[in-house]
Amino acid sequence: MTKRFGMRNLALIVLALMLGSTVLLDIFVIETVVEPLVYLYIALGGIFIIYVIPPLYASRRLVSYYWQRVKRNRLAVAGLGFILFLILLAIVGPFFTADPTAVSFEEKNIPPVGFTLKESIYELETGQFITRTATGYWQHPLGTDNKGRDLLAMIISGAGVSLQVGLLATGIALALGTLIGVVSAYLGGKTDNILMRFTDIMMTFPFFLLLVLIVFIFGANLAIIVLVIGLTGWTGTARLIRSETLSLRTRDFIMAARALGASDGRIVLTHLVPNVISLIIVIATLSIPGVIVAEAALSFIGLGDPAVTSWGMVLRAGQQTLDTAWWVAVAPGMMLFLTVLAFNFVGDGLRDAFDPRSSL
Amino acid sequence: MKETILSIKNLKTYFFTRRGIVRAVDGINFDIKKGECLCLVGESGCGKTVTALSILGLVDRPPGRIVGGEINYDSINLVSCPPARMRQIRGREIAMIFQDAQSALNPVFTIGDQIVEQIRLHSETSRRQAREMAIDLLKEVGIPAPQEAANYYPHQLSGGMRQRAMIAMSLSCDPRVLIADEPTTAVDVTIKAQILDIFQRLKESRQISLLFITHEMGLVSEIGDRVAVMYAGKIVEIARVSELLTNPIFQHPYTSSLIKCLPDITQERERLESIPGTVPSLIDLPSGCFFHPRCAKAMAICREKEPPPVSVTKGHTVFCHLYSAQGMKK
Repeated sequence: MTKRFGMRNLALIVLALMLGSTVLLDIFVIETVVEPLVYLYIALGGIFIIYVIPPLYASRRLVSYYWQRVKRNRLAVAGLGFILFLILLAIVGPFFTADPTAVSFEEKNIPPVGFTLKESIYELETGQFITRTATGYWQHPLGTDNKGRDLLAMIISGAGVSLQVGLLATGIALALGTLIGVVSAYLGGKTDNILMRFTDIMMTFPFFLLLVLIVFIFGANLAIIVLVIGLTGWTGTARLIRSETLSLRTRDFIMAARALGASDGRIVLTHLVPNVISLIIVIATLSIPGVIVAEAALSFIGLGDPAVTSWGMVLRAGQQTLDTAWWVAVAPGMMLFLTVLAFNFVGDGLRDAFDPRSSL
Repeated sequence: MKETILSIKNLKTYFFTRRGIVRAVDGINFDIKKGECLCLVGESGCGKTVTALSILGLVDRPPGRIVGGEINYDSINLVSCPPARMRQIRGREIAMIFQDAQSALNPVFTIGDQIVEQIRLHSETSRRQAREMAIDLLKEVGIPAPQEAANYYPHQLSGGMRQRAMIAMSLSCDPRVLIADEPTTAVDVTIKAQILDIFQRLKESRQISLLFITHEMGLVSEIGDRVAVMYAGKIVEIARVSELLTNPIFQHPYTSSLIKCLPDITQERERLESIPGTVPSLIDLPSGCFFHPRCAKAMAICREKEPPPVSVTKGHTVFCHLYSAQGMKK
């Protein structure tokens, strides 16, 4: 039994079966078992635990070596720190903050702590404009928006959404891109031609329009948004991985593996993919910010999932009151900016660390 | 007479390129017996490696294709063998060792893991058992401290050690035929001697049949039982090593020039001998005998007719007009 599959693949099959049966349960037994996004979580998390943790543990020495190299890049470490902080915020934060969707018109447009704001209000009773001074207080550290929603709670909720979309969609895109890239380069010839022309078509297709169309048809659901971004975002990855594999496949060890009786599938999975893993990691960190921005843009134009509060949505709310309550737009804008920057720094740091030519 | 394990009949492997058909291997015949070492000798680009790859069915197609002939292994014709069966034969029955072990080992796995994978690919073995087998193999090819060496990545080993690891890996499924494609080119002289020793031992202990590809005549005398000399995709001479080296009367002129190119430690010589001219382009081959433009003993007939095989003594065949009936007449 373990000869063909091995423990890892066995675990993967068990996971796939479990997920499959839950989907069936979901469809045929009317009650919803879990939310659609949870499937993606379990699938990608499972793959991560099965295929990433054990190899990392097995090669602790190499991991510590690369960590030493990454550590020398201060910006990358700072970026990593910010990302970890963001993850912590997204997981722990919601337990301590108010409901981000709770509306309270008595508390609208309160500035952040430490800021005071003069605003003129038309008073109905006297029929005159009076000047009111609003000062931020600790119940709403970042202030509130024009509906009195707590900005901090919205930012924390948005961090969760952005990270979910970023990680899950990138996970899907990378898996697809790697597979298509490696297979295309390894098999070459007609297969390569067909796969790469398909990639070209996907690349020329305006994916944002597709996203808008699909959201319009199927409704704005975070799971659908993640799926669409993932299923359209693999093209660049596929090309990069293909070019890397093209040079790998001519190496002697691929020929040696064939000469010793390895099948094509085996060569792709155990010889080619592990050799492009450093490239995959770098592409992953560098493509997460793009995905996060795409989701924010979608929410900004009002096509995001209305059930969740994302940064794009807050930005949209803030943009309407930019003249009176500037902080509503600034807070999510800064968060987006910092998050994208952090991922880019980490990606750059990893690329330098993995590059054997760089003298770090 | 020992049983023949691999026999190649009129094998033709051509490459169809834009500039024309490259006849990399053009109608060669030889066979290898059990526990025997056949050396395939020739200059670069004469088709030695393509012969080896043809045997394993690993010629890239396109552009390459085996256009004719038979490769008989154990009553199976490998040329028409289905891919699934071929995969079983590769590694398990016929294994191959590459010239440069540095690039023939996967850089991201330890050599122990690679050998374990190889063992488990072809047989039902538990991981632990395979690991023990791998360590035994590393010991067999003379790697000191095999327990630790198994945990090393290829780049952590020296060139000689890597080549040994490569040999251990190809031995992992106890193949009956081992093809070694210039296994000593990338290592220095002392390691070369040690690796030749390993092959010698394997031949005796495992009764393995060796197809040893090299361009060095010196190695042939060390390890070979029989030798086949290739030139421009054809075999020009095939003989027992002892016969070829001690009885130069019936040597093919190409073989004699190859031997002359060897530096001789007993003689003072200013420069090394070389064969005038270069290997002909395999697309645009000369007429008649392919070697005639470079041959010191070329005759008129050499330009016109391809030389027939001439059996000069038992087991010694030369493709040269010098010894053929037509050539003799003149």
